[in-house]
Parts: sequence; C-alpha cells; structure tokens
Amino acid sequence: MPIYNAPLLAIDAKETRRYAGLMKAENFDEGKIEAACQDARLLAAPKGIWQLYDYDCETQEIIAEPNCILQGAKIGAHLAGCEKVIALAATVGETIEETVTKRFEAGQYSSSVLLDAAATTAVEQVADAMEKAIRPKAAAKGYGMRWRFSPGYGDWPIEQQPELIRLTGAAAIGIHLSSSMMLIPRKSITAVIGLYKEDKSKQTTATSHKKGCAACPKTDCPSRNV
Amino acid sequence: MIHIFDGAMGTMLQAGGLEPGGCPELMNIENPEVVKNIHHAYIEAGSTIIETNTFGASSLKLDHYGLADRVAELNAAAVKIAKEAAAGRAKVAGSMGPTGRFVVPLGDLEFEAAYQCFAEQAKALAEAGADYLIIETCIDIQEMRAALLAAKDTAPKIPVICQLSYSEDGRTVTGTDPQSAAIILSAMGADIIGVNCSLGPEQLVPIVRTLAENCDVPISVQPNAGMPYLENGETVFPMGPEDFGRWGTKLLEAGATFLGGCCGTTPAHIAALANTLKDAHEPARPKRPKRLWLASRSKAVCIDKELPTRLIGERINPTGRKKLAAEIREGSFLSVKKEALNQVKAGAHLLDVNMGVGGIDQAAAMKHAITEISQLTDAPLAIDTSDTQALEAGLRAYPGRALINSVSAEKDRIAEFLPLAKKYGAAILCLPITDDGVPKTAEARLETIKGIIKAAKNNGLDDGDFLLDALVMTISADANACHEVLRTLALYRQELGYPSTMGLSNISFGLPNRPLINSTFFTMCLAAGLDAPIMNPYDDSMQQARKASAALLGHDPNGLAFSKDEANLSVPKKAAVAKETVLATLPAIKQAVIEGEKDDVAPLVEKAIQEGHSANEITEQALTAAMTEIGEDFGAGRMFLPQVLLSAETMRAAFNKLKELIPASANAENGTVVIATVKGDVHDLGKNITGALLANSGFKLIDLGKDVDSTDIVKAAIENNADIVGLCALMTTTMVQIDKVIADLKAAGCNAKVMVGGAAVTQEYADSAGADAYAPDGVKAVELAKGLVK
Repeated sequence: MPIYNAPLLAIDAKETRRYAGLMKAENFDEGKIEAACQDARLLAAPKGIWQLYDYDCETQEIIAEPNCILQGAKIGAHLAGCEKVIALAATVGETIEETVTKRFEAGQYSSSVLLDAAATTAVEQVADAMEKAIRPKAAAKGYGMRWRFSPGYGDWPIEQQPELIRLTGAAAIGIHLSSSMMLIPRKSITAVIGLYKEDKSKQTTATSHKKGCAACPKTDCPSRNV
Repeated sequence: MIHIFDGAMGTMLQAGGLEPGGCPELMNIENPEVVKNIHHAYIEAGSTIIETNTFGASSLKLDHYGLADRVAELNAAAVKIAKEAAAGRAKVAGSMGPTGRFVVPLGDLEFEAAYQCFAEQAKALAEAGADYLIIETCIDIQEMRAALLAAKDTAPKIPVICQLSYSEDGRTVTGTDPQSAAIILSAMGADIIGVNCSLGPEQLVPIVRTLAENCDVPISVQPNAGMPYLENGETVFPMGPEDFGRWGTKLLEAGATFLGGCCGTTPAHIAALANTLKDAHEPARPKRPKRLWLASRSKAVCIDKELPTRLIGERINPTGRKKLAAEIREGSFLSVKKEALNQVKAGAHLLDVNMGVGGIDQAAAMKHAITEISQLTDAPLAIDTSDTQALEAGLRAYPGRALINSVSAEKDRIAEFLPLAKKYGAAILCLPITDDGVPKTAEARLETIKGIIKAAKNNGLDDGDFLLDALVMTISADANACHEVLRTLALYRQELGYPSTMGLSNISFGLPNRPLINSTFFTMCLAAGLDAPIMNPYDDSMQQARKASAALLGHDPNGLAFSKDEANLSVPKKAAVAKETVLATLPAIKQAVIEGEKDDVAPLVEKAIQEGHSANEITEQALTAAMTEIGEDFGAGRMFLPQVLLSAETMRAAFNKLKELIPASANAENGTVVIATVKGDVHDLGKNITGALLANSGFKLIDLGKDVDSTDIVKAAIENNADIVGLCALMTTTMVQIDKVIADLKAAGCNAKVMVGGAAVTQEYADSAGADAYAPDGVKAVELAKGLVK
C-alpha cells in the first residue's frame, strides 16, 4: 500500500474562495483568504494512501480479498471499460478541524468558515498530488486514468464507505468511519480511479466524462464552478 | 568522451520468456542465457555501458516475490552475466531502481530502512565487479539521497550515476526540479547526474540542459521512445529507431555525454543513437562560476555578491524564548512551523533552524524540526547547532542541500563538522573563532577564515561551499566593533570573494532604540559587502533599509521595485476613505455591520448611547435594519456567506457593547430556539452558522451541539419552552433522524415549530417529515424563524 503524504507548499486561494461560497463576491478581503490558506498549511497533516486492484467492469467488481461489488449505475458507467481501479484515501487530519470548531466557539465565525474552506481545498490538493504521482506509473503501462469518484456521487450509496476504507487501507493513515458512514477526520476523501487502456485505434465514447461540478445535479450549490 | 548505454530490458525479458507477473531478476539464475543475449544485442548495437538486470533486485522489491533473502545472489549473478557478455567490450553498470515506496516524510519508509536496502544491493553489485552503480527512475529526492549515500558508503571507489524521472511539468512528481537535483546530488558526490524514463527525448532536452548548467559532472540521459499508448491490446511506444536516434545530437548539445534508452527502446534504437553520435564531438561545457547555491526539495537559492541580498530568517531559535523552548521540550513543533511560514511570508529566503534547548535529545529534535519544516516550505534551511549528532541527524533528514551554521576554527568543529559537510553535500558558514577566542582585528579574522577554508578544501569542499561570517561584537563593549566588521567584510570580498553573512543584532546589545542602531548598521554593512544577513524578517525598519539599499547599490535597477513598493504604500486605504464620509451615528452603525467592520462598531455604539439613543433604537434602527438589508443582499446574490458572518461578528460586538453599557437591554425578544445536529451526524459548521445568525437577530439560542439524541432534543425543547426547534442533518444516512425527532416531539406534546436544514435536506423532505419550515441557509433561517414566531 503506497503511502504518499504530499507537501502543501501552497493552498489554492481561488479554490478556497469557491468552497467558501465567495465565487461571485466582489471586494472580499483577499487577505482573509490568504490568512486562512496559510493557517491551513500550518494545521494540516496531509496523508494519503492508495492501492491498485484488478476490476471487472461487467460485474462492477473490484478483485480483492474478498471482492467488492460496486453498487450504482453511475459508478458502473464511470468505470466502463476499466481493467483496474485505484482505491485511494486522503486526509488533512483532526487538528485543522478542531481549530475550525474552536474559532467558531470564540465568535470568529468568518475565519472559522474560511479555514474550513481552506481545509477542503487542502484535502482535494492532497488527493490531486496523489493522482499526479500515480499517473506516470499508470501511463508507463499504457493506462489512462478516469477522474476520481467517491461514494455519495450520483447513486453510489455511501453505505459502501466501509468497503472503501478496507480497500484503501485508510486506517493506516488514521481515517475511520462513524456509524453513520462519515469519514473521521471530516476533511478526508475516499475515492476510486478507473484505469483503462488507451486505444488510439478506437475512440471510446461509451461513458459520460462530465467531471466534478458538471456531473453534479445540485445546480444551486454556492460552490458550483460551472 | 561519449558513452552509449543500452535500452529497455523488461520488454526484452518478456520476449525471452519472462511470465507476466514473474520476477525479472530471477531470470539471472533461472535463465541467464536470455539475459546474456539481451546484453549481446545491445553491445552489438553499439552500447559501451550495459546495465545489469537488477533494477528490482533490492530486498524491498524482491519481497513482492518472496525473494528478499536472495539480494546478494541475484545481483552477483547479474553482474557476472553482464561481464561475460561484455567481455571487455563494454562497461557494466549495476542498476538500482526505486523501492516503490516514498521515504519519510512523503511516505512511510524510514530513511534508514531505504539506506539499508540500497546499501545491501550496492555492496552485492560492487563485490561482483560492477564498473558503475546507476540509481535510476527515482521520483523522490530523499530516496535518491539514501541510495547515493548507501552507494558511496559501501562502494566508495565505484562511480555512481544518479538519474531521476521528471514529469511533463519539468519536475519529479514529488516536486524536485532539475536545478535543485543537480545542486543537491553533485554536492553529495554523485559522479554522473541524469534523467531517465517518463518522457521522450524531446521533453528531456531542456531538463538535460538545466542539469548541465547547474553542476560540473557529466550528464546522462535515457529517454523513453515517446509516450506509450495502446493499440490492439498492445502497449506501443510511438518513436521508431531513426527518430529516436536523431535526438542524440540535440541531447549531446544540451550537455549529455552518457546517452541511452529506457522504456520502448530496442537494440535498433540504440544502434541508431550510436550511429548518430559515432563521429560527434563532445561539446565543451561552458565554465560555470562557482557560486554558493543551496536547495530545498523543490527550490534552489543562490547567495552571491552579484545578486540582491538574501535574508536568512533567525526566528526558529529557542535561545532566550522561554515559550518556544518549552514547546520544543514537550515535543510540540507548532510554533516552529508557524515561524517557518511567517518568516517566508515576511520575505526570508532561507531559514535558520536552531534546537538549542537544554536537557533534550537535540538530534531527535533537529531531525523532527527539519522534517516538519521541509514539508511545509520550499525555503532552503541552515542547520544551526554545535552538537555533532544533531548536525548529522539534521543533514540526513533534509531532502536538500543545507547550510551548516557554523564551522569555526576550533579543533573539534574542524575535525567533526567538515567531513559531515562533505558527506551530505552541505555548504558551511565559516565563523572566525579559534580555540583562543575571537580575533580582534579584520586581518586576524581573515587569517582565521583562511585556515577554515584550507581545512575545508582538504576535506573535499570547494569554492561555492562557503559563506563567511564577519562576526559582530557589541559596540557598547568595544568602540571599534562596527569598524572591524566593515573592514572584515571589505577584506573578505577583496581577498576571498566568497559571500558573507552575520548575525546583526548583537551590535546594539545594551543600547536604547536598538532598531535604529541595527538598521543603520545594516545599511553600512550592505554597502561594505554583506550578502546574506541572519536577521529577524519581521523587523520593518530592517526590511525598509534593505529595500532602500537594494535601490542604492544597484540590485534594484532604477529603484523600480522600490518605487512600486512605495507607490503601494501611498494608495489610500479603504478604511481611511470610509472615515471621511460623515454619517450620523445610527446609519454609521448599520453601515459598519453591513461591511463587517468589527473593530469600528463598539465605539460607535458607545457614541450612540452618549448621544442619547436608547438601546431599543440602536437595535431596531441600526442592527436589525442592517440584518434585514444583509438578508436581502444575500438572497439576491449580492452578498455571500463569509461576508454575512463578518457582519454577524460585528453584530455580536455591537450587542456585547450594548449589554456592557445597558445590562438590562435584553436582545432575546424574538423567542427561544433549540438547535442541534441530529444523532449520528458530526457536521456542525452549518448549524453553528445558523445558530450564530439567530443569536444575533434577537433569538435566545440553546445550542445542543452535534450528534444529539432525539430524547435530549425533546427534553431541551420542553424545559426551555422553545418556540422553535432547529434540526440539522448533512447526510442521507442521518437525515432520517429528523423524522424521529419530529415524531418524538409530537409524542411528548411539544408545540414548538420545527425548522430543518442541511446539505442533503430538501423542501420535499422537510414536507414529508412534517417540519414547519425548511431553511436552505442560515440567512433564510433567520427570516423563517421570525415568521414562525409571529
């Protein structure tokens, strides 16, 4: 199980603005966003882990011990044509979350919310950096990577989180689940990435490749980026 | 001399019968003829250096096949096969690939474990007679450092080739750029530095050029035959032998003299390459000035008299700082990390790291601090210690080229620190102190420094490894202290030409207005030739002096940066303009709340009271009016949540002031709200936001927290005679708790209205659960709550 704890040499201020719901805000003090990003770098403990599995896209089955059948049509369509999947988990730890709570309790509402947004940006960046580390390994074997897909996206029930925790080995980086399927620490991600053989002789159009916000039905979300 | 490596091994082993999933290195024992034939093919093609079939023959890799105990055997066999195949026609390079794991702190593989793993393999390859060791395809500079150290320690006489793999953005996936790699690895004694795999020859040309420009050792390159794709179920590398071979010229021009192929290349590719280069002349590498370069994992910094002043941040130092010392003693590095980030933000180019706390394990503390800081910032580090163990622990842990602070002429330091500097490729800060103390005059200091440099060069260090300290004494104790420093700086530059440094603030010890003395002294030193002061980057007067000096000394041509900076400072601040507008007090309070000017509001409330406004007037005409407007702006998409929260903070400050001045002014006339995140759900930020907005809009708020059992919600609602119960659930799995709470409230005879919200909750869900209102956000919740209690 490769463990990769990507350094956070910067946290994207633009993404933090987006997660804070400030996409359309004019004149919001940039300094407050930057301070939140800086604090998040200080408080985050980035950790990531992944594991490669064979995948049977006909039965939507990850080949492991024991196997795991992925539930839902959306994840099935997303992984159509994939021979392997990578199960990955990433987190930025508990401390940052505790600080978000402490700040709110102290009446620092806005800095609490901005730190929360920066923490979200941070954990996404950790997962992005993992993808970046995985990509050349996959490419060397002729594999292309689908974008990462998490329980709760589309009709993939979050009740499959325990399976993702098992397949990723997330416990090794301190991620566990609450009884209601929540990842703890809260700023954590589990996801699968499908690996498909790039075939230049056949342009595959079998699956919908709408990504991220574009694929999400919640069109009134304040963080929507499309 | 131009050397031709071989090409891919793995694909040819498969063609020779290696089963999918089989261990390639086991072929060295079970099918040596196949391996030997591959070597033959490459030698026939023109290879002058062939690589052993040992890329994965380290214990950590062999462990995947249950062969971890056969490292020596498999490596020895591989060298034997290669030497037999070469029969004197080609040299044999012992191949060492990565472990497949990331080294701490990027991953979970301890540096020492990586070191042992590589040492074992290097020893086997060397004993079997390899002519070179080639560490290749690494993407983590720390893993490369471990391998290089292991190779140098176990086989000091065999040249080591160090090749990283870079991605399309020109960095390894863990962020190392070729400039930093060249600086770090050449300083550590890599004999040849290069790049292989990941990219085709075209993309590797600029990387080869950067490597060549940043070190003096030969450069090697082994590109893939382009980027692979799949055709009819086969992995295909797009570049044919002729195309591949043609790139040889460009790679040679860029500075590579060891050339070969990686994935997708065949003996035909190597033959084409050899053919292209058969009559080529090795281009002369332009002579590089020997400058002092330091590097972190992902950034190189140069200190030189031709360049602007570099600041070395001095704040990670517990000396005289009780709180920081106590934290380090307790094993907490939060303040250390904070100082690292803040100093870089304040303009530090390098960071000094001192863990001088009495009674702790200094080596462990240094290792910890270096590891944490290197993961947080890309500023190169100076390891500041007089403890040899702490120094080595820091140097080992640092994924870069560090500065050692410091090496004096004292016998112990010379004997213990200089070999470590050489081994780990560190630069040294030379301090003119002898076993007899501090030389008084500039001439004596120069002589002492010359002694240190001589000893350093005897240990293998060279120009480009030295930073000279001018040694600052206190003017209150020695009237000549400043003069001697200025003369020392001038002499250093004139006689030696190496860059200089100093800890500045000692000059003003014991005097009043130290910032003035310090910044004046600083400008004098800059003029005399100071290149990299060790200083407090937060010190504004020093920073201003530095900027002005840069303009004066020609480091900031025409004072351009200075002008821009001053221009920025003269831009009128928003707050200053706002104060110009004279508003009546109540509209001013309203305005302050809307704009979230938290610090302004309390004095305004005080002023309003003095002017005779009642608490009620202030609440109604200023605060509530502001909240109404904010609600409208938020609803219309003119204002956004963090701004609303700034306003809420301002409201809170206003109410607190009001309560302080008129304790009777209750602000809970709108009713009581019991609020909770339901059982099983631990998300509470949305609930907290809603609670804060309600509390600042005249509601009495009872916040039960998160993960709250239905029984407790019902109990609190009844006990507090709640007007409204607010329930929050974020997930589809916890949303169902809302139904249960509503049912339980009804069963208990509680008449409170129920308002629900949270990411997964919708109006439809709220209706079906029997809630009285659905609030999509906190602002709407306030509006709805007011309606519910009417």
